[in-house]
Amino acid sequence: MKKLFRRIRYWAGSRRAKADLAEEMEFHRALKQEELERNGMSAKDAAGASRRVLGNTLRGREEAHDVWGWTWLDDAIRDAGYAFRTILRTPALSAVVVLSLGIGIGVNSAVFSWIERFVLRPVAGVDHPSEFYLIEPRSESGSYPGSSWTEYNDLRDRLRSFREVFASRMAPFTVGEGNQGERRTGLFVSDNYFSGLGLKPALGRFWRPDEASERRPAAVISYRYWKAAFNGDPKVLEQTIRANDQVLTIIGILPEGFQGTALIVDFDLWLPATLASTMFPGTRELEDRGMRSYSMMARLRDGVSREVAQAEFANVMNEFARLYPESNKGFGAEVLPYWQMPRGPQRFLATGLMVLQGIMLVLLLAVCGNAANLLLARAATRSREIGTRLAIGATRWRVARLLMTESLIIGLAGSAVGVAIAMWATSALRSVRFTMAFPIYLETFVDWRVLLFAVLLGTACALAFGTAPALQLARGDVQAKLRPGMGVAPQKRLRNLLMGLEAGLALMVLLAAALFFESFRDTQTLDPGFQMEGVLLTGYDLGGTAGHIRSDGSVEPAFSRSFATQLLDRLREVPGIESAAIGSSVPLDIHGMPLLRSFRVEGRTENSDTPDRSLVNFVTPGYLQTMRIPLAAGTDFAPMNDTTTPAQAIVNEEFVRRYIQNAEPVGRRIESGRGSFVIAGVAKNSFYDAVGEAPIPIVYLSYRTQPRTAGDIHVRTRPGAELLVANEVRRAVAEVQTGLPVFNVRTLGEHVQNNLLFRRIPARIFVVLGPLLLFFAAIGIYSVVAHNVARRITEIGVRMALGATARNVVAGIVGETIRTIAIGVAGGILVAFTVYIHVVPGGPIDPTIFLGVPAVLLLVAAAASWLPARRAAGLDPMNALRQD
Amino acid sequence: MNVSRESPDLLPGTLDLLILGALAHGSKHGYGIAEHLKTLSADVLQVGESSLYPALQRLLLNDWVQAEWGLSENNRRARYYTLTASGRKQLRTERGEFDKMILAIQKVLHAT
Repeated sequence: MKKLFRRIRYWAGSRRAKADLAEEMEFHRALKQEELERNGMSAKDAAGASRRVLGNTLRGREEAHDVWGWTWLDDAIRDAGYAFRTILRTPALSAVVVLSLGIGIGVNSAVFSWIERFVLRPVAGVDHPSEFYLIEPRSESGSYPGSSWTEYNDLRDRLRSFREVFASRMAPFTVGEGNQGERRTGLFVSDNYFSGLGLKPALGRFWRPDEASERRPAAVISYRYWKAAFNGDPKVLEQTIRANDQVLTIIGILPEGFQGTALIVDFDLWLPATLASTMFPGTRELEDRGMRSYSMMARLRDGVSREVAQAEFANVMNEFARLYPESNKGFGAEVLPYWQMPRGPQRFLATGLMVLQGIMLVLLLAVCGNAANLLLARAATRSREIGTRLAIGATRWRVARLLMTESLIIGLAGSAVGVAIAMWATSALRSVRFTMAFPIYLETFVDWRVLLFAVLLGTACALAFGTAPALQLARGDVQAKLRPGMGVAPQKRLRNLLMGLEAGLALMVLLAAALFFESFRDTQTLDPGFQMEGVLLTGYDLGGTAGHIRSDGSVEPAFSRSFATQLLDRLREVPGIESAAIGSSVPLDIHGMPLLRSFRVEGRTENSDTPDRSLVNFVTPGYLQTMRIPLAAGTDFAPMNDTTTPAQAIVNEEFVRRYIQNAEPVGRRIESGRGSFVIAGVAKNSFYDAVGEAPIPIVYLSYRTQPRTAGDIHVRTRPGAELLVANEVRRAVAEVQTGLPVFNVRTLGEHVQNNLLFRRIPARIFVVLGPLLLFFAAIGIYSVVAHNVARRITEIGVRMALGATARNVVAGIVGETIRTIAIGVAGGILVAFTVYIHVVPGGPIDPTIFLGVPAVLLLVAAAASWLPARRAAGLDPMNALRQD
Repeated sequence: MNVSRESPDLLPGTLDLLILGALAHGSKHGYGIAEHLKTLSADVLQVGESSLYPALQRLLLNDWVQAEWGLSENNRRARYYTLTASGRKQLRTERGEFDKMILAIQKVLHAT
């Protein structure tokens, strides 16, 4: 340690130390000279002899300096300074390389910051966020319904593989007094929830054991809710709020970054699960083993693998299946990393992000190829300098290191630009607001991991594009380098190879860009099968309404039905509202529509290998009219107050085509677990889960017989006037059910656009990236051709002197370039096509994309090679011959 | 590497020991050390002057000697090296080891 300190002190004063050393060696020499003179030598001879005795003092000094071990740093600093000067000597070229690298690194870092948020740190605001696992019972049909409160309590102490098993369930609450109710999203949690997550309150405290009971209902609220609703006032502690007509004491504020344990859903308040029957009077969810709504989470104990934990969990679940066949028959067990939560849209999200990252890495590779080519071009002009260095004794390793320093500086400059771009991109994403049934909060930052990622990418790029020029220059014959006119040994093949490779990589990215863009354009141009404009959507949820809860926790159907009937009657009288209806699902939602499980169509024998599948949406009469989905046959549902007509269904044309074929659909019966339904009508197909999807069968069931607790009120009005009727809808709801809050008020158009976010963002990115990449590719090709032409200028002069026309020369050069590019492009198409078929099985193969994009790239390549070729051909042959 | 090349007759590491030994009787400058070694060894040990200074830097780095500017006998600026406490200790251990080695070598040679 002390030694290191002495080294550092020496380094700090190394200029002084070197002067000292020089002085004392000169002193030594002078004494030696005097000694020799005393022995009778002449002054002149003595001076020479003394110098010989001391040998090469410069080297002696260097060796003495080397002892302190700082030579590498001195060299590195000298290299860096020299590299900076070299880089700045060709500002345009350096700017292009740094900028293109920066963009490549920037988009990669931005995508990485999203992956980091979703996969590496899926639980925001806790320590070790990637260590949490979901403990998921899996039903016979393969769904993940969660566990019941009783089941959780049984499992909690039995599972030895986990540190602390905690559970939570989402619940909407109506917060506020009387008419002032607003919807807030909360979590019912087990008493060990916060300790299991390792959380400490930002303010106040968490529950004491006695508070987990209903005697003194106490809530913990989120930091954001505290800031928004209570202005961040610390006096809020021990104050009360009213939720679902119950008085709750606020006892703690959660730390700022924590937003709950349902991925990106943003929660406002946390309540002990034991309060469920207080908050939702009549519910039996705390006792009924079959009511599965809790998600279980935990960290694994040290040294326990996921597989071992899953095996243990499976054992217990098998035992439960024997003990409680009614609720647990056929149930399996799975332990999943938290980010793979099997509910919600994140499954596609994670894959989508990985695909995006892959594409961006290919883009970066293309950019690196480009940079390598540009730097090779510059390296060629420097071979004489390098030759001189080698001739005066620099080792090849030393020269290669000098060149790598240059690449590294360019790479790190690219990283810096990239980080700036990533910061801009993540803040742009932060400003995107979501309105969805559950509030969503998605924040990504450029943190140290993203920074590290960017620096690593920059370094990797430097190695990738710096190796070729460094090797080329440091290798080879010194004599050849020094000989005028020869330049470097022919590297044309390497440069052409790089050019072809770059073209192929660029093409893959451009194809991806075109596909993303096309998929987004589809969403704007394709007819969804319903009329998007002029519909206002308003969410409501009767789940928090006191006094109408059945023992299974659901709302009394009669109550739901009468609410819908009264509300719609009222709304239809409002001037400006053409029609109104309620639907349990809104099409093109990011969560997709629910499936109708195990149904049977009258007169059809089901193929057991591929069971019939259909989506389901629960709607009131008038829904199809409000959405402007035309009926192809039959009629709409019977009115809500009709009590005689049997339960009805409306199916779409795809349903008929698949399951009824040429028979008469109207009047046919559908049997399902929900009952028996008579088909009243056939609706035209429309899009349900995604714009551009192949037709999917759907069954609409009527609120008249199947009322739902929650849904969206659909109101049709004049396009553009949607938000004007929003207050009318609010008023009507308040009149029918005092204090019931509405939420997520938006137009149908906004709803669709919001849910297209994950198509829109990549489309926007690629709209900018695509042309930029083309531009960089053009610069790369231009530089390669210009360089090739410059080297062949004598040959061209000879050809032209022998009678070749300018046209011949240009055609020759452009043709040669295009041949190289075409090989790369062909390879690119092949790879892109193979990947596309695997990633999007059965996806449409758009010839305008798969042929048009390569055509554009070739056109750009032709233009980029035509320019330098043209200039060469314009030279006077005599002048051309005189060069060199 | 220079030690072995410049004075192949010295065992590696011996130069450091010799310098420490030269300084044991008081501080000296570089020329003085070279002279001291030459005189005492009756011209047998010719220290390559150019390897003397890297060796001195090595001793400085290990904190076995200290360097200070002073005035020489004929009033010129000269850099004097002095043994530090740890330098003295190092001299003792190295001398012990060197003696052992010489003894061992002699035994082997006398046995033949």
